[in-house]
Amino acid sequence: MSETPRNVLHIDHLTMQFGGVVAVNDLCLDINEGEIVALIGPNGAGKTTVFNAVTGVYEPTNGEISLFGKPVIRNHPQGKMKKEYLGTLGDKYLSAPLTHTPDELTKLGVARTFQNIRLFSGMTVFENVLTAQHLRRTSNVFTALFHLNRAEDHRMRIKTMDLLETVGLGDLKDEMATALPYGKQRLLEIVRALATGPKLLLLDEPAAGMNPQETEELGVFIRKIRKDFGLTIFIIEHHMNLVMDISDRIYVIDFGKWIADGVPEEIQNNEAVINAYLGGDEE
Amino acid sequence: MSKIAEMKRKRVDAPKLITFLVVLALYVGVFILEQTVPQTSMLFTVLKKGATYALVAVSMNLCNGFTGIFSLGQAGFMLIGAYTYAILTIPTESRGVVYQYFNGGLVQFALPVVPAMIAAGVAALFFAFLIGLPVLRLKSDYLAIATLGFAEIIRAVLQWNTLGPLTNGSNILRMYPTFNSFNIVRPDGSTLYLSTTVCMLMAGVCIALIVLLIHSTYGRGMRAIKDDEIAAEAMGINLAYHKRLSFCVSSFFAGVGGAMLAMYQNTVQAKSFTTAMTYEILLIVVIGGIGSVTGSCLSSFLFVACSEWWLRFLDEKQMIGTWEVPLLRNGFRLVVFSVIIMIVVLFFRRGIMGTKELPDLFRRRTREAIK
Repeated sequence: MSETPRNVLHIDHLTMQFGGVVAVNDLCLDINEGEIVALIGPNGAGKTTVFNAVTGVYEPTNGEISLFGKPVIRNHPQGKMKKEYLGTLGDKYLSAPLTHTPDELTKLGVARTFQNIRLFSGMTVFENVLTAQHLRRTSNVFTALFHLNRAEDHRMRIKTMDLLETVGLGDLKDEMATALPYGKQRLLEIVRALATGPKLLLLDEPAAGMNPQETEELGVFIRKIRKDFGLTIFIIEHHMNLVMDISDRIYVIDFGKWIADGVPEEIQNNEAVINAYLGGDEE
Repeated sequence: MSKIAEMKRKRVDAPKLITFLVVLALYVGVFILEQTVPQTSMLFTVLKKGATYALVAVSMNLCNGFTGIFSLGQAGFMLIGAYTYAILTIPTESRGVVYQYFNGGLVQFALPVVPAMIAAGVAALFFAFLIGLPVLRLKSDYLAIATLGFAEIIRAVLQWNTLGPLTNGSNILRMYPTFNSFNIVRPDGSTLYLSTTVCMLMAGVCIALIVLLIHSTYGRGMRAIKDDEIAAEAMGINLAYHKRLSFCVSSFFAGVGGAMLAMYQNTVQAKSFTTAMTYEILLIVVIGGIGSVTGSCLSSFLFVACSEWWLRFLDEKQMIGTWEVPLLRNGFRLVVFSVIIMIVVLFFRRGIMGTKELPDLFRRRTREAIK
């Protein structure tokens, strides 16, 4: 590894408040290039909210998010929220708020999958992956309309086929995406995310609904794509075996608040973490 | 890897070729019919109006079926197109007659047909762009209501007397080139009838352009937005840009369709472009299948044939022997029509074609043959 690993994602004092509910409170998080970092916590801890803030779906109430060393999202409580704000006010950000839409962030190199699968239901497996390369187009409407971008189109198709073959979905390319078995749909979502050409991949519960064997294969697969695509991976997962197996570092949150972070061994023996999980209602 | 090699080899596939031949045969058939069947036949009325409606229905399908923008402004954009076309093509010598209350009107030049049709599309596109800025932020029903409102406003504005020198107020526009202008009189006095063929060619070219767009990478982006906006945005597809693109292109072709309708009708008047016209087109789209270009084309010809021709007998007194069939009188056609529509909506919700296209019909057969 290099001496000073490059920072990929930096979350600084992130707070998300919906009405009177503070879903994420004053969360700080760092991910360096090439790492697999897991975000865990009991149900409703605010994990997916963190993903939604990082991908620009939600506008944070307070805090700053930087990608690849550049601030992309920044906000502080304004207007009505100033009075109603319930979160911890870390540093006050006096500089101007900054927003990026999800598609702009994806162009910067952040791709994600969804907790509840969101494939393009009217498309085949092949088209799903092909569509995800649309953002890297060089053609404009007119060249695309008259199909003058044959070379580019061809390259997209080859890349799609390549990606599908590497995960073993090549034979199913003409099936409707929603006709695939559940596990394969999850796999397809990851492939579709890879097709956008990301540097940082966010996986939201990729092993949900998978059996132990599939989960184990998924672990191998995640390691493989990190290596093959030079990715940094940020993962939310409930399968502890998978998390402990693949993660370099783990962040634990509960009720939107940071409670621990560290390498898997540290987390396994951390009292606060054990309390959070046992004090809850499961595991 | 073998699959990639296979993809490289396969350039033209059979179903597409068959489709092309079918369409070609259709045009040849229309051309021959036009030379042999008398011009007064209902067939040509149906073909011309059907082709016009097919274009507008496909343009509406691009928006509603492929991008998931539920827009109901089609009649408004058609109106803009029809007026732009008529205003720009009335021959200068006829302007005094047409604009009799406005001293011959403002515009004192006449464009050829094709540039005027493109201008009609561009005018509709321009308004779509302006309307789209606020309206495309809305979702589903709200967007439908806003676009419907826009269509109504345009209809009222074009009838405004102050705009008379341009739009002829609430009076009709006429004497511009129509489809019949395409018929060529040979030196020996016989006529080469081209009006229907040209009309269908115009619609065909426009529909082909829309199909090309749908099958381009931008079309895939639009379909992704229809399937799942959140996922589409997460895959880097700019929602605002693609929605605007779809809306503007749809309106452009609605404008061209409006110009064609003006040519078909021989006269054009703003008050005939009512909301009911938008509903007719929406009906065609639904009956044909939301998300199928082939379906929209088929159902528009079916719709026009039924409403103008096949179901006409329901409006008149009919006798079987000496027995008079009850209920048949003026307006009964519309009752039967409504019943048919209800049957379609209740039992054939996906329409004639669902989301299938013409090549898919041949494709399915070949795939089964392989099995």
